[in-house]
Amino acid sequence: MTQSGGFHEHTLKNGLRIVVETMPHVRSAAAGFLVRTGARDETPDLAGVSHFVEHMCFKGTKKRGWEQITRDFDDMGSTYNAYTSKERTVYFGWVRVEDLERQIELLADMMQSQMPSEEFDMEKNVILEEIAMSDDSLERKVYDLLHERLYAGHPLSWPVLGTTESITALSRDSLYGYFADRYHPRNMVLIVTGAVEPKAVYDIAERICGDWAPAEPRPDRARPKATLTGVHKGVVDRFQRQAIGILYPAPSAADEDRDIGDLVASILGGRNSRFFWNIVQTGVAANVAAGRLDYCDEGLMLAFGFTEPDRADELLGAMRKEIATLQSGGVTEDEVQRVRNRVATSLASEGEAPYYRFMQMIQEIDVFGLPRTVEQRLAVLEKATPAVVREYLARWPLQGDGAVISLGPRDWPV
Amino acid sequence: MERSETYHHRRLDCGIDFAALEMPGRHTVALNVRVAAGMVDEDESRLGLGGIVEQTITKGTATKSARDVSDAFDAIGAQFTGGVGRQSTVFRLGCLPEHLDTACALVAEVLQTPSFPQDSFEVAIQLAQQELTAMEDDPQELASRLIARNAYGSRLGRHELGSKETLAAITRDDVVNYWKRYYGAARMQVCVGGAIDVDGVAQSIDRLFQGFGDGASGAFETIPVEFSPGVRHQDKALEQEHILMCWPGVSATSPEHSVERVTLGILSGGMSSRLFTEVREKQGLVYWVGAWNEHPRGAGMMFAGASTTPARCDQTARTLLREIDRLAEDITQEELDRAKIGITAKMQTHGDITRARVGELSGDIYHHGRPIPIEERRATIEAVRMDDVRRYLETHPRDKLCVQTLGPRPLEDFRG
Repeated sequence: MTQSGGFHEHTLKNGLRIVVETMPHVRSAAAGFLVRTGARDETPDLAGVSHFVEHMCFKGTKKRGWEQITRDFDDMGSTYNAYTSKERTVYFGWVRVEDLERQIELLADMMQSQMPSEEFDMEKNVILEEIAMSDDSLERKVYDLLHERLYAGHPLSWPVLGTTESITALSRDSLYGYFADRYHPRNMVLIVTGAVEPKAVYDIAERICGDWAPAEPRPDRARPKATLTGVHKGVVDRFQRQAIGILYPAPSAADEDRDIGDLVASILGGRNSRFFWNIVQTGVAANVAAGRLDYCDEGLMLAFGFTEPDRADELLGAMRKEIATLQSGGVTEDEVQRVRNRVATSLASEGEAPYYRFMQMIQEIDVFGLPRTVEQRLAVLEKATPAVVREYLARWPLQGDGAVISLGPRDWPV
Repeated sequence: MERSETYHHRRLDCGIDFAALEMPGRHTVALNVRVAAGMVDEDESRLGLGGIVEQTITKGTATKSARDVSDAFDAIGAQFTGGVGRQSTVFRLGCLPEHLDTACALVAEVLQTPSFPQDSFEVAIQLAQQELTAMEDDPQELASRLIARNAYGSRLGRHELGSKETLAAITRDDVVNYWKRYYGAARMQVCVGGAIDVDGVAQSIDRLFQGFGDGASGAFETIPVEFSPGVRHQDKALEQEHILMCWPGVSATSPEHSVERVTLGILSGGMSSRLFTEVREKQGLVYWVGAWNEHPRGAGMMFAGASTTPARCDQTARTLLREIDRLAEDITQEELDRAKIGITAKMQTHGDITRARVGELSGDIYHHGRPIPIEERRATIEAVRMDDVRRYLETHPRDKLCVQTLGPRPLEDFRG
């Protein structure tokens, strides 16, 4: 039985793409704009501008001041937010189906923001507080350190929030210039999921966004080349734990191997995984996992854990041992089947709520234009056998020392 | 497509308090098992025991090893997690409808015949010790743990991880004895929802749990809150100062519960609410600010919190306090209506998530002893009038607060 009514797409004359997934069994709808620009599309002097723009889109349009924007969201009882990543900026709201048009209109109005000067300095303070908050998080800091070192010299190395220095120095005019350059129909996608009629959504979009002027596409991205050797460490005394990561090459978001990469990560360091039984359940560390980090042209396999600093060697050794065993011995059919079963359940859960579907679809729409159906995603896993995984490991080997990341109170490894 | 949903509630022969929400057309099922065993039931010298029991109970049964248990859940793609709370431990299961029978049998086996292997028990203690270290890197969690003692007192204010000393004192016998004493059908509430055959599920659960435990009734206790107002600080090297404030609210069963929920929406519902507007948008003092409430059985506590760099923490604290006070002065009809729609609209959107609905049902059985249909819940929110809010604010003064800061420095000249 399929839960989804399928995907529908349409492009307005000005280039704005619209992707709709109909979910006839629900009572709500989620809508949002994917803007195809993020931290890696910034220049060094504008580090953090994509995220700053995201904040400023809530601050005022020709029609609405900031108070009116938030009141209009709240008058619908919308579940709404926005986020910025290395490659994209996303704005969304989840509402009762009868409020969908109002929700699209409000989000669309924000995409025509005035970036009001009078709110700029106040919002700068908010972002500086966000950076301070992020600096108190070991998880966040190690993520930034990893990008800073492995992609040194490439825009992927810049933190999404920018730095205290870059944000302090940023001017409203350069922020506006970046916004005007990137926020136009050819660089955006309107995504709608839920109990909706595609044609009705296209009509709403034509009415609200049809007169937006197109501009030049975003500049091409320079392909990164990760440094996947050596030890990259940082010392921060105030943390109590040491964060440790080992990195190897992996498929990018656009690579057909990506699902097998995720399968391997799940068997190595997901739920009921080798890391769980051989590292967590032997008491070495409470938090150890594996996963694939991916971008449109680049991927990394990351095995990571957090442990008490004096057990860092033990944790690194234990992760290395599991990685080597996986590379040499491959995986079993039972292990693959367990992942298939788990994915089938999580896809069914995801299919219940337009909000979850919306979030899930964004990357595929960004990279491929259209998302895959639940059936297509399950079909890839159905074909994944231990032999397929072995071939994958030949193409994307987890061998050699990889790159090691370490951050915590200890200057380790020496 | 709106299809009719039906609530069911009955006591099963085995002693289980059973409730179900029949939701035709759903593609997943969710099951919550609540056991009347929580942190309040731990001996003062064994704090953390409830969590160790919850962690170890899945690590083997009479016929299965720890891995066999995990593999059995994975064989049907079922997600099974547990968590210990103040007064109860809740186990949550999610799976596809066709696997519900197998999943129920597995849950029954895990809860009734745990083998509590010595090695798994020892690992659980070690991991809990490591989680205590991890909490030191999580200022928000650490600040919550600090304020809880003074908000609730020594029993209700406990933290699931106990302390290094109390964890070290726990033995495997303690685990077995806690399980024997507190786990049993008569001390369990089971809630299930989805496209299910309610009678079939009820019969199956009744059969599976027949004879479990000593039959001792599981009347959930109501433990008095010991609220200790005051301003307290804990030094910690951090970039930001964390500020938490709390004051007593009403219980989940109070007739004023809906009024409090709407009031909380005015204070901290969406981005147009007062705290976000005054603390973040107008003054740029914070990235994070919020207010929320918690409900131990028969009690309630209101919280507000923010984190900010040390130079701005006094102004942030003063603004929080001012907003908490100002509630009684100038609420507008527009704010009231917006807060109400914020709650009722989300009932509908989030109502598409099966596990969220079952979680809500489980809370209703726990607090109210009956399912509260979503229409009734919506109606009580819609019925809230301005006079109700004013009366609530008059009769629940916010003049005595419990304030906790965590960070580089204490607040200056601040009234608690």
